[in-house]
Amino acid sequence: MEEQGVFLTESINAILEGAGSLLPELMLAFFFLLLVTLDLFKSPAIKRLLPWLALTAFFASLLTQVLGGYTTTSVQFLNLLRSDGLARYAGILFSAAGIFTILLSLQNRQLENRQQGQGEYYAFLLMLVLGLNLMAKSINLLMVFLAIELVSIASYILTLTLKEKGRAIEAGLKYILYGTLSAGVMLYGMSFFYGLTGSLDYTSGDFWFTLLQANPLMVTVAAVLLFAGFFFKISAAPFHFWTPDVYQGAPMPVVALFSTGPKMAGIVVILRFVAAFSDPGISVSVADVQLFLGLAALTTLAIGNFTAIWQRTPRRLMAYSSISHAGFLLAGLLAFGTGYTNSILFYLTVLLFMNFGVFLFLQMAEDDFRMERMADFAGLGRAYPYLGVMALLYFLSLTGLPPLAGFMGKLLVFSNLWESYSLSQDKLLLALLVVGILLTGVALFYYIKIPFYLFFKGNYTHKNLVISLSDKLLLALFALPLLVFFFKPDLLLNWIEKLLTTVR
Amino acid sequence: MNLILTSLIFTPLLAALVVLMLPVRQQKPIKAVALLGSLVQLGLAVWLYLRFDGGAFANGQTGYQFVEKLRWIGFSLGNLGRFQIEYFVGVDGISVGMVLLTGIVGVIGVISSWTIEKNVKGYFLLYLLLLTSVMGCFLALDFFLFYLFFEFMLLPMYFLIGIWGGPKREYAAIKFFIYTLVGSLFILIVMIGLYTSVIDPQATAWQLKLVQDGLPAGEEVIARVQQMLQDNALHASDMVRTFSIPAMMNAANFVPDSLLHSLSDYQLWNLPLRFIAFLLLFAGFAIKVPVVPVHTWLPDAHVEAPTPISVLLAAILLKVGGYGLIRIVYPIFPDGAAYFSVLVGGLGVFSIIYGALCALAMNDLKKLIAYSSVSHMGFVLLGLASLTTEGVNGAIYMMFSHGLISAMLFLVVGVIYDRVHNRMIQNFRGIANKMPAYTTFVVIAFFASLGLPGFSGFIAELLVLVGGFSAPEATGLLPRWLTVVAVFGLLLAAAYYLWALQRMFFGKFWIFPDLRPKAVITDLNSREYLMLVPLALLALLFGIFPHLLLDKIGMAVAGFTELVLQNGQEQLNIISSSIF
Repeated sequence: MEEQGVFLTESINAILEGAGSLLPELMLAFFFLLLVTLDLFKSPAIKRLLPWLALTAFFASLLTQVLGGYTTTSVQFLNLLRSDGLARYAGILFSAAGIFTILLSLQNRQLENRQQGQGEYYAFLLMLVLGLNLMAKSINLLMVFLAIELVSIASYILTLTLKEKGRAIEAGLKYILYGTLSAGVMLYGMSFFYGLTGSLDYTSGDFWFTLLQANPLMVTVAAVLLFAGFFFKISAAPFHFWTPDVYQGAPMPVVALFSTGPKMAGIVVILRFVAAFSDPGISVSVADVQLFLGLAALTTLAIGNFTAIWQRTPRRLMAYSSISHAGFLLAGLLAFGTGYTNSILFYLTVLLFMNFGVFLFLQMAEDDFRMERMADFAGLGRAYPYLGVMALLYFLSLTGLPPLAGFMGKLLVFSNLWESYSLSQDKLLLALLVVGILLTGVALFYYIKIPFYLFFKGNYTHKNLVISLSDKLLLALFALPLLVFFFKPDLLLNWIEKLLTTVR
Repeated sequence: MNLILTSLIFTPLLAALVVLMLPVRQQKPIKAVALLGSLVQLGLAVWLYLRFDGGAFANGQTGYQFVEKLRWIGFSLGNLGRFQIEYFVGVDGISVGMVLLTGIVGVIGVISSWTIEKNVKGYFLLYLLLLTSVMGCFLALDFFLFYLFFEFMLLPMYFLIGIWGGPKREYAAIKFFIYTLVGSLFILIVMIGLYTSVIDPQATAWQLKLVQDGLPAGEEVIARVQQMLQDNALHASDMVRTFSIPAMMNAANFVPDSLLHSLSDYQLWNLPLRFIAFLLLFAGFAIKVPVVPVHTWLPDAHVEAPTPISVLLAAILLKVGGYGLIRIVYPIFPDGAAYFSVLVGGLGVFSIIYGALCALAMNDLKKLIAYSSVSHMGFVLLGLASLTTEGVNGAIYMMFSHGLISAMLFLVVGVIYDRVHNRMIQNFRGIANKMPAYTTFVVIAFFASLGLPGFSGFIAELLVLVGGFSAPEATGLLPRWLTVVAVFGLLLAAAYYLWALQRMFFGKFWIFPDLRPKAVITDLNSREYLMLVPLALLALLFGIFPHLLLDKIGMAVAGFTELVLQNGQEQLNIISSSIF
């Protein structure tokens, strides 16, 4: 009894000590509870307040993480969470994604016109971002599972926000079915790992060291099962099937969030996984991991890019675009060695701005101009040059053409691939590099379709509309960083470098 | 600091910004601003050309004039050292002619665009952006900067063809975009490989604190850094990876264990990686040149593009491909240049003959001229592959001369198209009777292009052929029969031009009946004289006084061929001793 008491006190102390490091998460959780409570009141004044409260929460969490200094210990909650520079930078990205989502939601007519459930929408956005933050901090498999589930549950509900639309029901159902399946599979894989090693702390050297002694077939099976869950979150093949349907059914701001937030968090989780292999003790098995991730990246790239060619609606196009970007990110993760974390984070940052820009454009097209298929866009760009040029910028950046930051992101990822190819001389890496670069040509073919309709086809015959100033400003807000980060990527990269090297 | 090159590049951009500010309806001011912008660029180009010292030593690695070098992007890559991109521009004999050509054609293009009515603002905005990026390509000495301008050329071109082009413009625009993008992706692969393998000894000396930051390092310090690098005495984190093209030309700047180092014994498909890199780069630029069999985008793009854009495309955009081969591919991979000389020369000769045969078969006058471009650009490849001083001089002369003459050719096609909205050869006969002045310029353009002595095309072809014939003795790179075959190209050129002349311009005047209602057959107007007369005079001037250009480029070409030959032999010896 006595010993147990001491153990309990120590544990409680450790938890309390680490609590300060969770300041951003605690703020998000507090506002989540606040929003849920306030949503009970019927007063329209309070209802109108809710989005702004959520915005405040995201801004607060963004600010604390940019300023830093709240971290007390590097590892918290008995080896469950780690608040390092990686988690902090990822947290900044998540908060930014949250802010952008709310900004998009405030412009969205369909969300505005909803009769019920306005408050819970914003509450679940907070919950989702809270889950993302925890995903980025987890260093324990069980914690990873809990965080992913937190994100998933919020995602299922957000998908169904506009439940009067038939597409939304279909999307929500498919999402839940795939989601629960992959969660189960992932949990199964985790149980294998626990059985093999007796530990869930996957960033420790011991964990991997024990695995090396185990039966390789068992480890492979366990790893494949585990990665099913990760791949589901970043929509990498072969767990990408939910993506086009969900992108078609969910409200546009939510789609924008899905295409960035969970993908970024999933990549960070895999990044922590892969980073363990820089430990010299287990670096012998690097080639196996490279083969596994490399094949996944190749498949994802191929499926994403080639399927995108056939899409007729911009939402589905963006779904496959998002899959192909998952492929690029996986390829980037293969390039072991220092410096690759910076490039991945740079790529993720650029992806955030590109995707939100595109989805804002698509939201405007759907809401204001009632355009749901690509062919509907004919002539829009010539009637509204500002809108057209902004859309062009986003799509070219997604393709990866200079002078836009998308090019810089790809350049960095491919540079790392080349470097690690010249170190290991593994042909798989060269294949990824060449395939990845050449697929840019395919990507141009499908991304340019929308600008093609915007500028080349037909004449705009719809009624004349005035694009609101706030929409124009938002379009510029997402486009400006794409130019700045092309011409001065070192501004961002040096900052990332600084964050990654500072402990607190 | 001398800002002449920066002003050359960014004057059109400045004009584009002014155009952007002007209201859409103000068509006259928009055109005036575009004209002013291109005229200022021409003025600067002429000033640069006159001030350029052709007698100074240059070889691609050194000897650049009016150099501007600024740090642009730099960050740490952890174990990889530092990553550095510079704003690095300069001019030497190889580029100075291209700069002048861009200035001239830029102005001609604006005059030719005067009749554009559809969306004038957008048109001139894109036009000026295009001029900026082409000029940037010719002046950039940092690979990243070059690549930026190189890729940025595609976008304005895509829209210029796609919006202002002919009936099948959308297809032609996307074909152009995809083809040339794939070409530049090949270049991108090699660029990534190169910059991770090459260090900048100057910046590395600063990093090592061998000299004070910002001060130039002396030759002995540079040599010491290079020696340390080759002895593996440099720590990776101290290396400053660079995109500088001149640095890439020096084998001493390659990181010893990098796969692109000439000592590396790594092979892919039984070829050293350097050879594969050469082939990829060559393919990338060959699409732009274009070389048969990757030329198929060119006839489509030309046929659909509006006249001024065809002029720009033929006169300066294609030259970027040839220029890239000379500036980047050959001096950076001299071993590949020597090893694959027969391939390059052979493709050149194949393009000459195939392009000419296609031209012979065309019914569309514009397509005929497009194929004649393919044929003439083949001479550039042949001259370059010979790696003799005459041959390379000829290649550069051909690019310059073809720039002037092809501009003229596309302008004369535009003249007839403007009047009749048709340009099929079989629909016309005896135009000379109705349009004597026009026919005079057509004859001048055709004869200049087929290489009549007295025009610049003759000098270019002569130099290339002399280079090709002397190559077996001088450099041992090309078999003589290749050049013999190329001579037949001249014969074919005479055939397709004269046949076209005979069919369209001579005999009794006749025009296909269906075309008559819309046709307004009038002779040249003053605007057309304004474009054609200067071009004809320039073609004549550079045909009679070739030293005007050769004096400027001669030293650089001599240095270039010597450097490429010498480095090529040395590195081939190393490669063959370590691999074959």
